[in-house]
Amino acid sequence: MMGIPGLPAKLRFRSLKLRIAVVYAALFAAVLAAVLLLAGNGIARFGEDSASRDLAANARVFDEIIELRAQQMRGSADVLSRDFGFREAVATDDEPTIESALVSLRERSRSAAAFVVGLDGDVVGSSDAALPPATELWDALDGGQDHGIIQIGDKLALAAASPIEVPDRIGWLVLAQPLDAAEMQRLSKLAAVDIDAAVRRASRLPAELARAPLGQVFESDDGERILHHVTALPALQQGVRPRLVLDHSLSKALDEYSGLQLLLAALAAAGLSLVLILSWRVARTITRPLSALDNATRLLGEGKDAKVEVTSDDEIGRLGASFNAMVAAIEERERQITHVALHDGLTNLPNRKLFVEQLDQALARRRDDAQLMIVYVDLDDFKVVNDTLGHPAGDALLRKVAAHLQAVLGEAIVARLGGDEFAILLGDLPANENLAALADRLQSCFGRPIMIDGQQADASASMGIAVAPGDGVDGTTLMKNADLALYRAKRDGKATYHFFEQSLDEQARHRRQMELDLRLAIRDGGFELYFQPLYSMHEERLKAFEALIRWPHADGMISPVDFIPLAEETGLIVQIGEWVIREACRQAASWPDDLSVAVNISPKQFQSPNLATIVLSALASSGLPANRLELEITESIFIANVEKTLEALHSLRALGVRIALDDFGTGYSSLSYLRSFPFDKLKIDQSFVRDLTQGGNANAMIRAITTLADALGMETLAEGVEDEAQAAILRQEGCHQIQGYLLSKPIDARAVHVFIAGMTGDTEGERLRA
Amino acid sequence: MRGPILILTAFALAVPLAASWAAAPAAVQVQIVDERGMPVRDAVVELAPNGGWRGGAIRFGWKPAMAQKNVAFVPGTLVVAKGTSVAFPNLDSVRHSVYSFSKAARFEIDLYGRDQSRTQSFPITGTVALGCNIHDQMRGYIRVVDTPFAGKTDQNGVVRLTGMAAGGYQLIVWHPRARTPGGELKRPLVVGAGRSNQKIALKLR
Repeated sequence: MMGIPGLPAKLRFRSLKLRIAVVYAALFAAVLAAVLLLAGNGIARFGEDSASRDLAANARVFDEIIELRAQQMRGSADVLSRDFGFREAVATDDEPTIESALVSLRERSRSAAAFVVGLDGDVVGSSDAALPPATELWDALDGGQDHGIIQIGDKLALAAASPIEVPDRIGWLVLAQPLDAAEMQRLSKLAAVDIDAAVRRASRLPAELARAPLGQVFESDDGERILHHVTALPALQQGVRPRLVLDHSLSKALDEYSGLQLLLAALAAAGLSLVLILSWRVARTITRPLSALDNATRLLGEGKDAKVEVTSDDEIGRLGASFNAMVAAIEERERQITHVALHDGLTNLPNRKLFVEQLDQALARRRDDAQLMIVYVDLDDFKVVNDTLGHPAGDALLRKVAAHLQAVLGEAIVARLGGDEFAILLGDLPANENLAALADRLQSCFGRPIMIDGQQADASASMGIAVAPGDGVDGTTLMKNADLALYRAKRDGKATYHFFEQSLDEQARHRRQMELDLRLAIRDGGFELYFQPLYSMHEERLKAFEALIRWPHADGMISPVDFIPLAEETGLIVQIGEWVIREACRQAASWPDDLSVAVNISPKQFQSPNLATIVLSALASSGLPANRLELEITESIFIANVEKTLEALHSLRALGVRIALDDFGTGYSSLSYLRSFPFDKLKIDQSFVRDLTQGGNANAMIRAITTLADALGMETLAEGVEDEAQAAILRQEGCHQIQGYLLSKPIDARAVHVFIAGMTGDTEGERLRA
Repeated sequence: MRGPILILTAFALAVPLAASWAAAPAAVQVQIVDERGMPVRDAVVELAPNGGWRGGAIRFGWKPAMAQKNVAFVPGTLVVAKGTSVAFPNLDSVRHSVYSFSKAARFEIDLYGRDQSRTQSFPITGTVALGCNIHDQMRGYIRVVDTPFAGKTDQNGVVRLTGMAAGGYQLIVWHPRARTPGGELKRPLVVGAGRSNQKIALKLR
């Protein structure tokens, strides 16, 4: 399941549904939280601002209230101060009258104090508490101030002064009302909001309030958030410095908005639940088909039938349809892959794997009294068809053979094992079936030539046959035995069949042992080189030795005839050949300078890409001059690829070594090879030499060959010269060199030196010349 | 009244010639200015001889009357000798009363109408502040003096007092708005023969 990158493992969900729901809910919650936070903040700020504005506005109201109250008191005072009798009493210092008038004024105006301050400094009055001294009131009163705060006893009071004029001013009537808690509370009720008001002397204010700027709202937070507003009130008395302190509880003001915030939170919670439910439902509509797909995918992975039901035509539905199409496509491809895996692409026949399976099944089904026949078929000369007509032609041949076999052998199982090998399985044969007749009939299937692109191609085949239960009861054994029988049939010649015999098995075992021994001999240097002298009749001298490999074995010397084909078959010839080149060069380097060494190069060795390198290396390490090394090749190297062969020959020639054509006169003996490459020497096959003394036209053949070679500037050498008569004829017919038992059989390296010494003694030479 | 009393004495010309005292009556010119040096009008200046006036009845050159005209006392300040009977003719179309709670004279004259007059005698020296019971803004002052050498300053703040004999005097300056106790400023003055000038600064409200 994909995870959100960076999400801690424990926050990853096993369920897409849960994840969608949680992610959407979390997203919504985050947005809600942000909105709530903003709204809450906004409300709080609005609350604070409006509380602050309220307080400021109410502070102005309070000023007005106090002003009005003072005016009201002034009005009360004026009534008395303008009263003629009162003025007369004051003017005449009639204190009893004054006091009685003041008492009645106090009662009428419900004031706490009423007193007269005379111009002369007398204070006469009616009060519950001590009146301020006239000296402290004088300046303000004389300055024309008609109201302000004074101190009565220990309380601050609002005082209004009304001048007493008779008609000149002789004093003031002062009416005072304490601004105590009760009075301030009464005044506070006039305010629109809940305000605590108090009038206090500036010197008695708490430090925080004393420091506060006048006329501005500021906040203190001492457990409860409180807004303060401090204004200076006019003082009628010196040194009083009254301050009106208004307190408005911000916390309480904000409490009014908490209901709104609660409502918001409730709305948010409701929204969140709704989103949770909806996103859960939406997630389910998405994930239900997804989990069906998940299930189907798992089933598909387990190789079971997996189809999903397509219920909608949206993306999910299309996904389901695509999934179904994909499943169908996978099934089809699987079927094709299985077919390809079990069939041969070229012929569409079952391949080896399927053949083995079918064989095993057939063996399992086989009744005790029934026989089962396995035939391995290998087309003869298929390689020739491939090489001469091209691979497409080879493929066409294979297809035609396959089609023909299928058509003819309807009930048999025909398989292509690879290359030009086919296998045929015939089951359920009665115990008394004539197997040889059956084999003949099979053989006849391949007898006819096949036309490819207008050209006739030979489609004959060799067959190896194994029969169950006689040759084995399990597939592996039967197939191995059929293969061995095929191998034998091939060796017996083409277009034939061979039934498996136990001896084939033993031969095969022998070959395997010999291959093993070959490898050991290569590793341990178990080979030896023998040399057979080459004598020039022109120059009357020993010319060269041909290096011949020998394999001393625990069972005696093994002939190259026995092990070289095996080495060719297994490819070991390349390593053996390399050793031969190196050893021959090493030996030849110890010979007199006018003696060369001839080394046979097998076709397989010739095709190996590094032959020139090996030759160069052998020359270099032995110190042998290149012109003393002669490489003998056979015509068969031209069969594969003429151009490539010529190229290789020229590159060898470029090294300076001589090239001799061995076994000339046998095989294809196409004269075009002679024209296309200037061999240094032609080695005339010993079969021509053997016939020389028996009359006939052998002389003419030799003469023709030597004439041809002379004309092409090539030397000639006759192999297998056994007696003087043959030598004489060869000399007469113009052959340059001879090789054979007349001179010496192959001898080992030590004997070579003795032989050379003997030849320089020249008895042999004299004998030959005679 | 409180506050410093600034007295600027420009010059006091005193000629110590005793022989010429009786022969040539002296003249004293007093100028009253306020703190800013502006002339103060209607200030009453008196020269009271030390030991009191013993020269008999005093008569001034103006009528001892305080009329009520255009809801005001006219003249606003009247200087009368002790014992003078002052007339209060009502020249207005409204009725007026006259009262005084001053120590020098306490009286009340009930409302009386146009073209009526009342009189009141002032036997005690001092300042009598007059008011009308029904017109608070009406102010009148009668300065009752016991010396013939008294007068009001003119619009230049100057009053010229003549005819006094050389000798020791008490110079008294009064003005209703003077910021001095009782509105008075007193200082001794030796008057010599001939003319002398006094310039006195008054602190006014």
